[in-house]
Amino acid sequence: MNRRDFLQLMGATSVVALTASCTRNSSVVGTLSSPVNLARFPEKTEMILLTDRPPQLETPIHYFRQDLTPNEAFFVRWHLEGIPTSVDLRTFRLNVSGHVRQTLQLSMDELRSNFDPISIVAVNQCSGNSRSFFEPRVPGGQWKHGAVGNAKWTGVPMKSILDRAQVKAGAVDVSFNGLDAPPLLSVADFVKALSIDHARDGEVMIAYAMNDQPLPMVNGFPLRLVVPGWYGTYWVKALSDITVLPQPFSNFWTDKAYRIPSGPNGTESPKDLAKDTVPINRFNVRSIFVRPDPDETLHPGMPTEIEGVAFDSGYGIRRVEVSTDGGATWVDARLDPEIGKYSWRRWRALWTPTKRGQYRLMARATNAVGDTQSKEQWNRSGFMWNVIQQVEVKVG
Amino acid sequence: MIPKTKSLVLSLGLAALLASCGLSPSSKEQDHGIANEKMESMLHSRSDSPVHTIVMPHDEPAFPPGSGRDEFVTACVVCHSPRYITMQPRFSRATWLSEVKKMKDVYGAHISDDQALKITDYLVFINGKAGTGQGPKGIYGE
Repeated sequence: MNRRDFLQLMGATSVVALTASCTRNSSVVGTLSSPVNLARFPEKTEMILLTDRPPQLETPIHYFRQDLTPNEAFFVRWHLEGIPTSVDLRTFRLNVSGHVRQTLQLSMDELRSNFDPISIVAVNQCSGNSRSFFEPRVPGGQWKHGAVGNAKWTGVPMKSILDRAQVKAGAVDVSFNGLDAPPLLSVADFVKALSIDHARDGEVMIAYAMNDQPLPMVNGFPLRLVVPGWYGTYWVKALSDITVLPQPFSNFWTDKAYRIPSGPNGTESPKDLAKDTVPINRFNVRSIFVRPDPDETLHPGMPTEIEGVAFDSGYGIRRVEVSTDGGATWVDARLDPEIGKYSWRRWRALWTPTKRGQYRLMARATNAVGDTQSKEQWNRSGFMWNVIQQVEVKVG
Repeated sequence: MIPKTKSLVLSLGLAALLASCGLSPSSKEQDHGIANEKMESMLHSRSDSPVHTIVMPHDEPAFPPGSGRDEFVTACVVCHSPRYITMQPRFSRATWLSEVKKMKDVYGAHISDDQALKITDYLVFINGKAGTGQGPKGIYGE
C-alpha cells in the first residue's frame, strides 16, 4: 500500500489520521506542499493539522486548483479554547447595540428575509499564512501556504444592518464579538473592530452562506463577518454581537496582538525591531503555485502547464511573471478572466523543459497600482508573507 | 460504522509507515489514530434540526517525563493543546522563555516566575535548539 492509498483508507474510515511525512521543507525554497500531520474534524475533510485545541487546520494546496475553495477544505484558525460546538437557531440572535438609536436582536430568519442579500467572492487569508518560511523562524502557527481560501460569501451588507439600527452622530468604531470564549477570566475575549466608515462601505458584510451552503461550525456557523481585502483576523466567526462605539476601540487583540511594523510591507530587521507598529490591515500582493504536483516528475520535451493563483486587497492582479531558471529570465503568464476584485485570479504558463535536471520555478504577481512581491521580508510575528515563491521541480 | 479492531489495525499500519520513513520511534510524536464515532455520522449529513452540534475530536500528544512537566501540564495545557509546542520549530532558550513570559504577562496565564522558569526548562528539553538546552536534542519538532 503506498502513501496515497493509505491516506485514502484512513479518510474512508474517518479515523482522525495523524501521519508523518518523510519530507522536510527548507525555508524559502520549498516543495509545493508536504503535509506533516493530517486530521479530519467535524464537517471537514482531511486537512493539515497544526493544532487541535483550539483547532488550526490548513488546506492542502491541491484544493486551490478550484477557483472556489470547498467549505470542507477551507482553513480553520481559532484563538480561544472555548469555541462554539452547538448553536440553537431558535434562540440565536445577532445583537446590535451601543451608539445607536435602535438596538437590534436579529434571528437568522430575520436576517434572511428582512434584508436584501448580496454575494461577493473574496479571498480570506490568515495574517500568519506562510509563517514557517520566515528566516529566522518565528513562534506562532507554523503555516505553509494553505491558510488561505477563496469563497462566495452571501449575506447582508453591514451597512444595511447599521442603517436599520440608526447609528448616532459621532460614531467612531464598530466592534465585533463571536460566540467563542476565553478559557480563563484573565484571558481577553476575542473581539475585533473596524472604523465606522469601513463598516459602512457596503462591502463589509455578514455572511450566512459560504459557497451557497451554511458555514461549517469551525468556519463560523451561523454568521461570519466578511471584510474583503483584509486579513482573516477581522473576519470574526460565529458573530453574535456588534457594538457601535463613540470612541476608538481598544483591547488586547488590537493594541498588542495583530500589529505590524509601520514601515513598507510590514518589514523590520531581527536586529532592530520597529518601534512604531500599526494594526494589520489589507492584503499585500502575492501568488501561490498550485501546479505541478510536488511529487510530479516532468519530462524533457513535454509541454507542462504551470499554474497558480494570485491576489491582492482589491485593486486587481494585472500581471504574473514566471521564471523557470531561478529568476534569470521571466515570461508573462496568461491570466484567467477576473472573477471579482476580491477573488484570487488564476494564472497559467506553458513550459517545455529541454533538459533533465533540477529546476527552480518562481512566480511574481503585480497588481493594478504597480505593487508587486517582496524579495526579502521579515517581522517578529510572521505576518503578511509575500516573498516571491520558489519551488524546486525535477525534470527526468 | 467501522469496527474498532480495524482502527487498531490502521494504527499499527501508521506505526509501520513511520518506521518506513527511517525515523526512530523515539524521535517522532507518539500520536495515535483515534476513531471518533460520533463524528462519522455528522460528516456527510446536515440535520434539519434548528440545533446544530458538532463533537470535537480529542487527540493530543502525550508528553514525556522531564523536569517541569507538571508545571507545563498544569499551566499550559489548561488553555491549549500541547500541539502548540510540537508544531513549533526548535527554538533557543531565550525564545521559549519569551513565549512563556508572553503567555503569563500578555495572555493572562496563571504562572509564577518560578513556574515560568521550570516550564521554560521543559520546553527547551522537548523542543529546544540543539546546544542551547539542558536536555539532549529536542524530542519533538523538526
